[in-house]
Amino acid sequence: MKKWVSIIILAVLVFSLAACSGQNDKKTGKEKKEAKTQEVFKIGAIPDQNAADLSKGMTAVAKYLSEKTGMKVEFVPSVDYAALVTAFQRGEIHMAWFGGLTSVQARALVPDADSFAQRPRDSQFHSVFITQPSSGINKLEDLKGKSFTFGSESSTSGHLMPRYYLMQAGIDANKDFDGKPNFSGSHDTTYKLVESGAFKAGALNEAVWQTAVKDHKVDPNKVKVFYTTPSFYDYNWTLNSNVNDVFGKGADKKVKDAVLSITTQQKEITDFFQTDKFVETKNSNYAKIEKVAKALKMIQ
Amino acid sequence: MKNSAVLLPKRFILSVFLIAIFVWSLFSVHWNSDLLHTGGWPTMLQILKGVIRPDLTAEILALGLKAAWITLAYAVTGMSLAILYAFIVGILASGTLTSKTVSRLTSKIFFRGILGFTRAIHELIWAWLFVAAIGLSPYAAILALAIPYGGILGRIFADMLNDVPQEPIMALKAAGASKLQILIYGYLPLVWADMISYTMYRFECSIRSSAIMSFVGLGGLGYQIQLSLADLKYNQVWSYIYFLIVLVLLIDGWSNLVRRGLVERKRVKGISIGWLSTLLSVVLIIFSWVYVTEDVHFLELFSDKNIQYAQRFFGGMFGVGNPHPAFFDKENWSSALKLTIETLEMSIMAIGFSTIAAFITVLPAARNIANGDLTLTKRWYNWILFGVVRVLYIFSRSVPELVWAMMIIFLFKPGLLPGAIALALHNFGILGKLWAEVIEDMDSRPIRNLSSSGASRLQSFYYGILPRVLPRFLTYILYRWEVIMRTTIVVGFVGAGGLGMQFKLSMSYFQYTNLTLLLICYMVLVVIADFASESTRKAVK
Repeated sequence: MKKWVSIIILAVLVFSLAACSGQNDKKTGKEKKEAKTQEVFKIGAIPDQNAADLSKGMTAVAKYLSEKTGMKVEFVPSVDYAALVTAFQRGEIHMAWFGGLTSVQARALVPDADSFAQRPRDSQFHSVFITQPSSGINKLEDLKGKSFTFGSESSTSGHLMPRYYLMQAGIDANKDFDGKPNFSGSHDTTYKLVESGAFKAGALNEAVWQTAVKDHKVDPNKVKVFYTTPSFYDYNWTLNSNVNDVFGKGADKKVKDAVLSITTQQKEITDFFQTDKFVETKNSNYAKIEKVAKALKMIQ
Repeated sequence: MKNSAVLLPKRFILSVFLIAIFVWSLFSVHWNSDLLHTGGWPTMLQILKGVIRPDLTAEILALGLKAAWITLAYAVTGMSLAILYAFIVGILASGTLTSKTVSRLTSKIFFRGILGFTRAIHELIWAWLFVAAIGLSPYAAILALAIPYGGILGRIFADMLNDVPQEPIMALKAAGASKLQILIYGYLPLVWADMISYTMYRFECSIRSSAIMSFVGLGGLGYQIQLSLADLKYNQVWSYIYFLIVLVLLIDGWSNLVRRGLVERKRVKGISIGWLSTLLSVVLIIFSWVYVTEDVHFLELFSDKNIQYAQRFFGGMFGVGNPHPAFFDKENWSSALKLTIETLEMSIMAIGFSTIAAFITVLPAARNIANGDLTLTKRWYNWILFGVVRVLYIFSRSVPELVWAMMIIFLFKPGLLPGAIALALHNFGILGKLWAEVIEDMDSRPIRNLSSSGASRLQSFYYGILPRVLPRFLTYILYRWEVIMRTTIVVGFVGAGGLGMQFKLSMSYFQYTNLTLLLICYMVLVVIADFASESTRKAVK
């Protein structure tokens, strides 16, 4: 009897599988037709900070864009930098808030993509190096033999440029630290790890650092800045090359205009980006980042 | 056991040999206080505080419940596909459908090769590959689960079919049954029960795999754990881990019920467990498929666009259009080989640590020792110890290696040691549970005899229990080592060194040819581990 039960278990498993996948096909077929009439404009952002804040800020951008352009706009969160670049390459993300390095990576994969807008501060961006006040670290050279954490592997201000300026100071990040450098994954995690003492020092995005200090998210008695890098170009909005094909001619201009006309009236957005407006930028601004990334073999 | 006199030295030599390898692996770490972060302990304490005080606000509970459902749904869809694949390829690989020796051998080798290849690669690597090739579609996760699980199941199915007693088959053959008839009326009825019980056991594992699957961006418990860890909200991390533990325990309980039902073959009054389970599986499978594939069309996977991207991705991996593919570069090879050795050392350290931890805890964890049946001594603290150790085991095995690694990395500096410890933390619970069952199943008469003739606890352990269970213990150690080998690459993702760390970096920098090189090294390692473990296991049998 038990034999029969088990045979039936397996048979039903198999049949129900076939049956329900059939049903799905029909159902999704219908849905697909509806979707064709209104494609969703998908925006993304590199997950370089607190996920809840990021989602709140980017959802505000999506809402603003859909009011301004009449398109259906949606924020798609991603778990890591590379995943966002890959989705952008596949045309599944139509506009993304990239860091300098990720925008260069993305444009290497989608040659006609356009880095079109940035915050005023992004043309003069800095990274800060932080440590505990008692660590005895006062300049980059002191970092030799100390434990160190970067942000994400793909971050410009959390990895690429700090590594570059370390190299300029004669420190090879792969060899000269105490152990291999850590990759914390996000700027917020970096200062928290240094604050807790998990790492002696770290490097992160200056803007995130300033917000953390302003909002008392970090204890200034436990962490101090000991070095600020020279300026470089960083974050920008990059528009995918497939926008006009999917949303019709002129869609790219509509979106660009909408982004560039964000003012402090869109308080939720400007607060999140810590800016009062977005200004135009161009692909060639990121040539230096591309050069450094090539030298460090982060892009081919 | 008739020639145990001859076998004993063999086992002894093997044990010494394994210990020697473990000691060798320890030399890969520079043992000093520098291994720990100076501030690692406070962070660790914060993490541990979350164990006792998880975040149980309604918002987190609702999120956790949804994430748990997503995790379950992916596991169910993945497994249902894996069963189909395993069933078909497993039968072909067993060679029961072919009659001529030559065609039988070729089909055996060919299909066993396919099964071997599909299970050699860890499900998370499959997921990465699928996401890169077909995008962030639920099918990427389903296929990533179905392929390696199908590979494992298929191989076991094939082994079961090959081990079937020959007499009933001969009888059918003599009666003139065709190959298909022999399969349906001879082989399958003989192995149904084993197939189902093994599938249920694998189903429990697939829950954990499904949870980490979400690290590639498909939602679920792993995704929530990762987000909370990134924001350093440890109390939330533990809330989600508790959800995972409960889910694993539920499936574990269910699978135990089904297995017991199959073994005991007793009619229960009313509706039997078998029927209930069938109903439950059907409902689960239907709901999961409907939920997971709600707004994706299966055929869309094969759209021109996707084929183009997949082509570009795999072309990239094979170095199409790349003037300097990494796998033709001497320097890349030497660094990859160095990482391969490191990964090997990490896996050996990991199994060594888990063996030690399981060895220390296994005695109190056996039910027949806790209730005093085996040693004829009853102590009041036995049951408390039993409870504590069993809870430890549950924690240990319910939390996937990757999650352990993400937490351990706060305490240790990046390198091989945190990877090995994370792997050990997950595996010692599994090893302990398997070993405790071995002790529970052993013949209690010799031990009772020892105890009643006045042997102390330690004495009866060394002279009574250990000699009897050692072969089974060794088998499980080798088997887990095989599994650990496959998982080393995954803990590397979060900074625990070895091939996995480089794999993640290459993925971030889109160095596809380097990925190919690393994958080759990884697969060679896994195949060697499989082979070494299987041949030693046969030797100790």
